[in-house]
Amino acid sequence: MNPWFKPSLHRQRHEFVIDFVRRNKPKKVVDLGCAECSLLQKLRFHRQIELLVGVDLNGHKLRKKMHGLAPLATDYLQPTWNQLCVQLYQGCLTQKDARFRGFDLATAIELIEHLPLDDLKRFCEVLFGYMAPQTVIISTPNSDFNQLFPLTTAFRHSDHKFEWSREEFQSWSQNVCSKFGYKAKFSGVGQAPPGQEQTIGFCTQIAVFDRLAAAATADTLSDGAEDAFPYLQVYNVTYPSLRDRNILRKTLVSELLYWAEKMKNEWLEKMTTGDREEANPVEEKGKREEGAFEEIFWTNDQEPRCLTLHRHVAVPLLLLWNRCPNLREMSASVANLSQLLIDVPQIKMNGLRSAVIICSQERDLGDEGPNDLLDSGYAESSYVREEHWVLGDE
Amino acid sequence: MASQEKMPIRGRSRSRGRARGQDPGPPGILSREPAPEVAVKEVGGLVGRGRQKKAPVPFTEEAALEISAGFRQVKIGERGGRRRDFHDGGINTRLTMEHVQTSKTGSSGSAIQLSANFFRIVSRPQWVLYQYHVDFKPPMEARRLRTALLFQHEQVLGSAHCFDGTILFLPQRLDDKVTVLHSRTRNGEDVQLTVTLTNELPPTSPVCLQLYNIIFRRVLRILGLQQIGRNYYNPKDPLNISQHRLTIWPGYATAILQYESSIMLCTDVSHKVLRSETVLNFMENLRQKCGSHNFSDICAKELVGLIVLTKYNNKTYRIDDIAWDQTPFNTFKRGDTDTSFKDYYKNQYGLEITDCNQVLLVSHVKKVAPGQTPPGPALLIPELCYFTGLTDKMRADYTIMKDLSAHTRLGPEQRAGRLLRFSSTLNNDTEALGELQKWGLNFDKQLLKLTGRVLPPERLFQQSRSYGYNPRTADWSKEMRGLPVIHSPPLQNWLLLYTRQKSREAQGLLETLYKVAAPLKISLQKPVMIEYEDHPESLLRTLQHNVRAETQMVVVILNSNRKDKYDCIKKYLCVDCPTPSQCVVARTISRPQALMTIATKIVLQMACKIGGELWSVEIPLKQLMVVGVDCYHDIAAGKRSIGALVASLNQNMNRWYSKVKLQSRGQEIMDGLKMAFAGALKDYYKFNKCFPSRIIVYRDGVGDGQLHTIVNYEVAQIVESIKSIGQDYMPKLSVVVVKKRINCRLFEHSNGKVLNPPPGTVVDSEVTRPEWYDFYIISQAVTFGSVSPTHYNVVYDTSGLKPDHMQRLTYKLCHMYYNWQGIIAVPAPCQYAHKLAFLVGQSLHKEPNVALDDLLFYL
Repeated sequence: MNPWFKPSLHRQRHEFVIDFVRRNKPKKVVDLGCAECSLLQKLRFHRQIELLVGVDLNGHKLRKKMHGLAPLATDYLQPTWNQLCVQLYQGCLTQKDARFRGFDLATAIELIEHLPLDDLKRFCEVLFGYMAPQTVIISTPNSDFNQLFPLTTAFRHSDHKFEWSREEFQSWSQNVCSKFGYKAKFSGVGQAPPGQEQTIGFCTQIAVFDRLAAAATADTLSDGAEDAFPYLQVYNVTYPSLRDRNILRKTLVSELLYWAEKMKNEWLEKMTTGDREEANPVEEKGKREEGAFEEIFWTNDQEPRCLTLHRHVAVPLLLLWNRCPNLREMSASVANLSQLLIDVPQIKMNGLRSAVIICSQERDLGDEGPNDLLDSGYAESSYVREEHWVLGDE
Repeated sequence: MASQEKMPIRGRSRSRGRARGQDPGPPGILSREPAPEVAVKEVGGLVGRGRQKKAPVPFTEEAALEISAGFRQVKIGERGGRRRDFHDGGINTRLTMEHVQTSKTGSSGSAIQLSANFFRIVSRPQWVLYQYHVDFKPPMEARRLRTALLFQHEQVLGSAHCFDGTILFLPQRLDDKVTVLHSRTRNGEDVQLTVTLTNELPPTSPVCLQLYNIIFRRVLRILGLQQIGRNYYNPKDPLNISQHRLTIWPGYATAILQYESSIMLCTDVSHKVLRSETVLNFMENLRQKCGSHNFSDICAKELVGLIVLTKYNNKTYRIDDIAWDQTPFNTFKRGDTDTSFKDYYKNQYGLEITDCNQVLLVSHVKKVAPGQTPPGPALLIPELCYFTGLTDKMRADYTIMKDLSAHTRLGPEQRAGRLLRFSSTLNNDTEALGELQKWGLNFDKQLLKLTGRVLPPERLFQQSRSYGYNPRTADWSKEMRGLPVIHSPPLQNWLLLYTRQKSREAQGLLETLYKVAAPLKISLQKPVMIEYEDHPESLLRTLQHNVRAETQMVVVILNSNRKDKYDCIKKYLCVDCPTPSQCVVARTISRPQALMTIATKIVLQMACKIGGELWSVEIPLKQLMVVGVDCYHDIAAGKRSIGALVASLNQNMNRWYSKVKLQSRGQEIMDGLKMAFAGALKDYYKFNKCFPSRIIVYRDGVGDGQLHTIVNYEVAQIVESIKSIGQDYMPKLSVVVVKKRINCRLFEHSNGKVLNPPPGTVVDSEVTRPEWYDFYIISQAVTFGSVSPTHYNVVYDTSGLKPDHMQRLTYKLCHMYYNWQGIIAVPAPCQYAHKLAFLVGQSLHKEPNVALDDLLFYL
């Protein structure tokens, strides 16, 4: 890339788009001519976007790059409410595809200069007339700037069909605006050297088109009858999100069990230390959350089957709900929480479905197991034997 | 956690990071360099440095014998540029051993039909890889640019290609030997590319194999698996252990290598433990638990050495330090401007950092991009990081490990089933198949079938009595009941320490000890009973007051298994006041129904700690010294390594000499153990009035990719220390590298069921490597899960011992670990060395007192 731009020009173009996304929070974004998918790579982190789509003529390139758009390992660990679907299509942008209507933002970064003028005309009709996104960002080289390059050829790249001056680009844009009902603002990235900013402009010129409210309904149903889907979908991935009921439930159950276990341990701690240290009842009380712990109760009498084998602790849902903000956020109400826990095999509840029943293990097992600190042989053997017992043979 | 099965002796308490070896990282100076790899962007395909990484290994006389298989100079550089050869390729040790040139297989035992977790590769027979050199005129610096320029010519080169910036590999030949191409940069600069054919590689060449592996990793990605560390995992179907906030991802460890007779894909089921909370959550919890006054120490202890994943890329980082003086408001240089971490992550990744007071994590990034100065350490934001794997503390937590193993332990039937399912998923995915077929790759759909042998069970001797054991369970605790042990020094002067609360348990234990000791013919006098206060300081004082020179043994009943008291006892009695000691946690002797069994184990353990000999097997070789070497990497204590050496002192293999060396980071284990080795020889002389005529060294604790150090360096060190005894002393020497943590799995098929092969199963064909003298033995029996064979690689051998004898001797030695009345997974000296290194690394942090050298005090 041009060595005098820092960060590189191509990164500055991407940052221009990202900046726009951050400020305007579009939900559905399409990158036209996404090539190596490098812009999509960056946009996917901005999770107010819910649908992120890339189109390119070169399906091979897309297939090579698409796996880089898969969710990150960590996206699975703590799913959020944000949802994101990333799709890639192989297609020719002079064709209309019904799946591409109704986007909030369409970008065409360094794309138009690769199109022959006929195609450009058709592309404009497809983009502004048919897809009609709320906003369009188009970037293209500014030929005014070329005088600063030691260019031996007419254009910066051999595949460029044209390179426009600022005037040419702006007049083309104005034309588009009046034809399709948009309003354009011009800027760019890649500053000219000091003193020449005015005379030469940016290395890359950028136009941001906003659809005028009046034009909003004009096109919507005109082509409706003949919806076509000429683009070929090559990639489609949905990021994990709490809006997926299964994921929500799994996350909720995990969170609930974690807190229930934690509260159970605190409760048991309190039970054992409590009777020893009655000297400080006031302080003890101060630590309790609204006297909440009294409500946790032993339930030897609840489940006759368990009674004979183990002791259990019931942790009321209400307490869990009060304690853990994540649970509140995920379930919206205690009733809803209880509802969500129906038929979850890992969770046992009391008859009224108001408390989670947790098995209280033998206290001695505590934090450290028998296999650690002992002089080993005996620890090793006892560990193995423990397993025999756990599975109940012998 | 790689799926580790629980079995009697597997070094469960293994040190963290062992497999990573001793990769001396760059000295870390904290600078305010950018933590985030600002410029690094996913670049597809295969790019990387085409530069060879030379092993910084001093080349010695012996090492000169070692000749690599060639092609080592050509390696495909990958993205990131840094990749060690974890498969120890190109080390051809078998060449140096005359007696195994034609055959390295044994003959004892009965044949057994097995299958293994290997899939044969079915390629075109004449499969050749074409290697081209690509020259750029004018020269282009950036690798990415080079790649882009080259692949403007995809129609000429084809869609299957692999390019690392200089060297290009193609599955087909271009029309001409030299092809000249013209490209243009975006600046309009014309570049001439000359693509010259330099080599045609057969499918067995290391480069080809490396390429297979690279392609296969692509395929795993296509199958939707996520790479974490070296293996690939499926994030879509996690198992949650909610109580501990753990998530387990099932996945696979894979490697394509040249095995004995064909190229195969070795696949094993692996599980990755992740945590569904950020490092920041974890730190907050920790602070709540331990309070803030020594928080920084505790926190560093817990965190350093752990591997984290971040929210903004799929890279793993290892936490090397904590930057207590940094916060997300701190800035780094990005281009020409200073950016704060907070702004950077918000702007680049839309990640809002909510806690602005959190400290930062430091990771020394080892990778250096070509033509750039090494970056400073990466600074990571705890809020944006997730842990992978387990902490040592979690590993020691019985309940966590129990829950984990319940989820991850797979029986042989389940494991084989999963592997076959993997194979069918692979063979049914059109995209994955397409990628493989581009390169002409194709895999067998069935597990590899092979024949192994089951060695006959050994007979055990105790004085004049001998007995056998059930060959399936490989355990003789029942058989030895009531039999006198070979020899036990009478225990006349010993102490029993206990707290007041546990005096009843102490009394109970003592009575039972008398009861069980009598039939074993272990003479036990009345101990001095001492009560102690349950504090480390007062415990230490009690020891100082009561342990005298003539004290033979100290038994301490601990109220709980708090590490501090245990460490305090061991430190005092192993270093300052050398006395064998035995700790017992009160809880374990509180169950009357188990007391007899437990007391038997304790009394046996006490006996061998003071020099007792319990049982023996027949060892046909005379004047033999067996040596075990293992190491422990203490990551918390500044990456110090501990090397332990244990050597047999008598014919029955029941007395052992031991030595430990603590060494600084980056130092080779054998540097310190050279002296220990000579010490062992002298001690052997003291016991036998002669030096051993044969020495067999079992070297454990060798990480993947470290074999070259053993072969090129350690063997020479051993030879040298033997020479130090005298010029004309020329014993026969064998060096065997022992590996337990391997991906090879073996299954027995019997009556339509898939079983673990029985103890004594030996495999020395098909899944071994042609360039090594190696074999697998399953010596232990496991009750749950699938058994993992132990790999033995004889890297140096002047013994002339037949492979069959080497295998049988190795198997015999697995019977000789006195802390387990059964067969263990490794030869006893390895397990002894492991125990010793672990004790020193975990508790002593110092070399034990020389007075204990001849005793198994570390059991």
